[in-house]
Amino acid sequence: MGSLFRSEEMTLCQLFLQSEAAYACVSELGELGLVQFRDLNPDVNAFQRKFVNEVRRCDEMERKLRYLEKEIRRDGIPMLEIPGECPEAPQPREMIDLEATFEKLENELREVNQNAEALKRNFLELTELKHILRKTQVFFDEHEGGANTTESMTRALISDDPNRHIGHVQLGFVAGVILRERIPAFERMLWRACRGNVFLRQAEIDTPLEDPSSSDQVFKSVFIIFFQGDQLKTRVKKICEGFRATLYPCPEAPADRREMAMGVMTRIEDLNTVLGQTQDHRHRVLVAAAKNIKNWFVKVRKIKAIYHTLNLFNLDVTQKCLIAECWVPALDLETIQLALRRGTERSGSSVPPILNRMETLEDPPTYNRTNKFTFAFQNLIYAYGVATYREVNPAPYTIITFPFLFAVMFGDLGHGALMAAFGFWMCYKEKPLQAKKIDSEIWTIFFGGRYIILLMGLFSMYTGLIYNDIFSKSLNIFGSAWRNNYNQSTLESNKMLQLNPDSDAYTQTPYPFGIDPVWQLAEANKIIFMNAYKMKISIIIGVFHMLFGVCLSLWNHLYFKRRISIYVEFIPQILFLVLLFFYMVLLMFIKWTSYGPNAAHLGSDDPEIVKTSAYCAPSILITFINMMLFKTDPNTRPQCNDNMYAGQIGLQKFFVIVALMCVPVMLFGKPYFIMKEQKERARQGHQTIEGAAENGAAGGAALPPPQHHDEDITEVFIHQAIHTIEYVLGSISHTASYLRLWALSLAHAQLAEVAWNMLLRKGLMSRDFEGGIFLYVVFAGWAAISVSILVLMEGLSAFLHTLRLHWVEFQSKFYSGEGYLFQPFSFEVILDSAGQGEE
Amino acid sequence: MKGCIFNIDAGYLEGLCRGFKCGILKQSDYLNLVQCETLEDLKLHLQGTDYGTFLANEPSPLSVSTIDDKLREKLVIEFQHLRNHSVEPLSTFLDFITYSYMIDNIILLITGTLHQRPISELIPKCHPLGSFEQMEAIHVAATPAELYNAVLVDTPLAPFFVDCISEQDLDEMNIEIIRNTLYKAYLEAFYDFCKQIGGTTADVMCEILAFEADRRAIIITINSFGTELSKDDRAKLYPRCGKLNPDGLAALARADDYEQVKAVAEYYAEYSALFEGAGNNVGDKTLEDKFFEHEVSLNVHAFLQQFHFGVFYSYLKLKEQECRNIVWISECVAQKHRTKIDNYIPIF
Repeated sequence: MGSLFRSEEMTLCQLFLQSEAAYACVSELGELGLVQFRDLNPDVNAFQRKFVNEVRRCDEMERKLRYLEKEIRRDGIPMLEIPGECPEAPQPREMIDLEATFEKLENELREVNQNAEALKRNFLELTELKHILRKTQVFFDEHEGGANTTESMTRALISDDPNRHIGHVQLGFVAGVILRERIPAFERMLWRACRGNVFLRQAEIDTPLEDPSSSDQVFKSVFIIFFQGDQLKTRVKKICEGFRATLYPCPEAPADRREMAMGVMTRIEDLNTVLGQTQDHRHRVLVAAAKNIKNWFVKVRKIKAIYHTLNLFNLDVTQKCLIAECWVPALDLETIQLALRRGTERSGSSVPPILNRMETLEDPPTYNRTNKFTFAFQNLIYAYGVATYREVNPAPYTIITFPFLFAVMFGDLGHGALMAAFGFWMCYKEKPLQAKKIDSEIWTIFFGGRYIILLMGLFSMYTGLIYNDIFSKSLNIFGSAWRNNYNQSTLESNKMLQLNPDSDAYTQTPYPFGIDPVWQLAEANKIIFMNAYKMKISIIIGVFHMLFGVCLSLWNHLYFKRRISIYVEFIPQILFLVLLFFYMVLLMFIKWTSYGPNAAHLGSDDPEIVKTSAYCAPSILITFINMMLFKTDPNTRPQCNDNMYAGQIGLQKFFVIVALMCVPVMLFGKPYFIMKEQKERARQGHQTIEGAAENGAAGGAALPPPQHHDEDITEVFIHQAIHTIEYVLGSISHTASYLRLWALSLAHAQLAEVAWNMLLRKGLMSRDFEGGIFLYVVFAGWAAISVSILVLMEGLSAFLHTLRLHWVEFQSKFYSGEGYLFQPFSFEVILDSAGQGEE
Repeated sequence: MKGCIFNIDAGYLEGLCRGFKCGILKQSDYLNLVQCETLEDLKLHLQGTDYGTFLANEPSPLSVSTIDDKLREKLVIEFQHLRNHSVEPLSTFLDFITYSYMIDNIILLITGTLHQRPISELIPKCHPLGSFEQMEAIHVAATPAELYNAVLVDTPLAPFFVDCISEQDLDEMNIEIIRNTLYKAYLEAFYDFCKQIGGTTADVMCEILAFEADRRAIIITINSFGTELSKDDRAKLYPRCGKLNPDGLAALARADDYEQVKAVAEYYAEYSALFEGAGNNVGDKTLEDKFFEHEVSLNVHAFLQQFHFGVFYSYLKLKEQECRNIVWISECVAQKHRTKIDNYIPIF
């Protein structure tokens, strides 16, 4: 539980493993996923490490598996998910079996594929030939029947030939098949190369043919080229070859052609049966492999991960054992010991592994244990920076403050309910959705933040109730505290009327929960009222949030035993914030409680009573500005008091002076103490060295020189100056920054109102039957805008602003975020990332 | 002003290209690579670089030619990606880059057919960046005129080829002449195109292309010694867009031996430095390597400026050099011939 507030305590351990037992032990640790190994030979190349051969064998196995998987996918055979438990990492000796199995499968598959390819090629050729015979038939028919056209064309083509034959010219021809997209270039080339002395006819093959090598579907065309003479023949053949056209013999006589076509048909049928059998065989092999392939993948990846880890280890001189260094959460030492013992037992080794804690000056990694609920919040924090080791972890507080600040901006019961419903659905269907492994990036983000979304939705519903806002309308649950006290004629003659809280229009008991619904009707001053309210609320929330942040820094100082920092950083910081900004918040409360309508005000002109009426309420902003400037403005209203309470001016002056005095303390306090400490240490250092020299002369056992790293004092000054300026200016700008709570909330409310007034209201106002249809259409538009703009986009923008408020305004008060993440060696993580990489 | 609107069309691709550039192997990678004992080691090390798993699906044992193919394939995929996303004038610029590969392919195919090699054997040797549709039918042609009329007239190389039509038949000498004439026309056209684009592109690219032109002129001269190429013919092959133009080229045209070429280069500071360090003795770098080194440094400089197209050209050239380096190292590793393994040309 402690690790929620602070990161887990880590220790550096040295691990001595028997060579025989190392594999099994590491495998157990991988299942556990609690140990981060350090690379002990960073200077050694990847290929010079000890277990490089094993890694290479795993690579080879993986390659074979990928090949199998590709083939399985190509045939669309479903791959069985691993039933139940993940298989454990197999023993090293099993590796040989696996290798043999994969080798056999791969060879078998390759052989089958080769056969299939040869058969398919054969099949393709025959189909092409079939098409040629069928298509050319048409050409020849034209030739025979409508001899005129062809005849005249051939005549014209060879009319320049001096040895011109009278009558029928014997033309040679070739027939073949070519890819359809190459036809235009092919035709042009033929024309150019043969100077127009050839005649090309072509016809498209309607059905796509399968390319045997890539098994793509390609479209082809049949062509037939007529020419005269051998020279042209070689040339045409060369061009055909160049364009990868396949030529087929095509007999001239129709009878021969028919006979050939018959032959081709029978051969195709024969081939089809053989091909079917080959496919069946291939299918059987693949189905058998598909049952196990995921299992195999897991096994091979585990082996590979283990050897990768073993490569990080050092060999000791005797070559008998491996030495590893690892970071381990101190709480889990027991579990790890247990796992190591299990590993030793499994490997049958007699010597137990040794786990030594080591002293180190290095910064340990940061490890926060999370569950599925806190995980998303922790990630929001990590996105800014990983916490320094053992510093206060803001994640647990973020669980409430994040959705709350979000909801202040997003306050709308309707929109909040939509969001909560979506979040609830994701949480409710968690398991099935997780199992689906949807790959879309956006979905992963939403799903990862499902608990955040759910909480944001619920909190928005709450603030929506407070703002009394549901799709920009109000709910009158308890009955408004206001009533109309004007008579009919006044109502009819005036466009706008004011309800005075000092009269009997107000029942003098406020609406029990949230904003009174009557404000929904106040067209003139609703926004003014809401602005004043939301602005003050934002500042109040902001100041409390920042104060909390500063208080957390106290916890850090206490934990790291930085006493000086408490006195010269924390105390002046908190004083500065409390005396100026918390005081302003107090003023707001004083104003709220001491001014305003009550029963005594009803129609009273007593000057003492008037002093506490809304009429006399001072502006907090002006008061605060005057306080900073040491100025006193006399109240312009003669009936009212100048001050909110007695002694206000004196107290305010005192506060400002004390707050300003905090600034130099923050600026110079720490560097001064550091300087003093350094001087002290320098003096002591001299003494120890002298002492050590004497000791060394006497006994020979010299003390190690004390660890001191003198920081450059100017650097300390600059650092502190930056820090102070950031804090002092920051507390002003950060307070102002919290006004975004008001601004976004206003924008959201206004946008919702526009959507209502411009769309749904128009639909609701139309009458009759057509009105119903119109409303039907308009509702769709309104709903779409509500979801896409008001919930999604506004939600996103409010989310980002909340994130900023946490990262900048809140965390800057205490969080340094200079740590690095604990990345344990875990099979789960490795398998997940491998699985994703492959998709 | 050009810089302001550069990013509208080419900003993404430039960013992409610079990103690719960061994946080019560093000196430390090379130091690791030369320590490799086998090609498997090499593969393992390359896995740790930007090449990632490009060899993961290759069954062992590896051969140098697979490595070469895969390296090239990766480069070509990257380049095609850039080309497919580009718009004018960048797309023309990128096309211009591919023309040089087309020229190489054509010459390769013609030479191959001249030696009666089947075309199917030659096609895989062609560079995929320079492939074009009519390429495989190139052996129809027996004379340059036929080559032009039947094959090249539809390709973008047609305007470069006009000067070569006069040659009578395709023998080895003429092929060389055709290659160099084509290159000359290509370089000059590319140079003009870059000039026309103007701005930083012109600054950077003209520098690189001028060097390319001069290098060709010098190499042609050196290679022509002892052949039957006449001095007039030789002078016609010099690309005229380099720094040697016109005086240096005139002097080169008169040169009779290596020393005279060197004397010409003396007048040009950057080239004289290249000739200084070059030699044919063991341990010396050859002139060719020197030229490569200079080219690499020019290309690396191209990345110092922003908002220009030169980065695409430079990236391709640097990556090609890297491929040559890796292939060289793997060749040395495969043949256990480690004495010359350090003769690669480091890029960064």
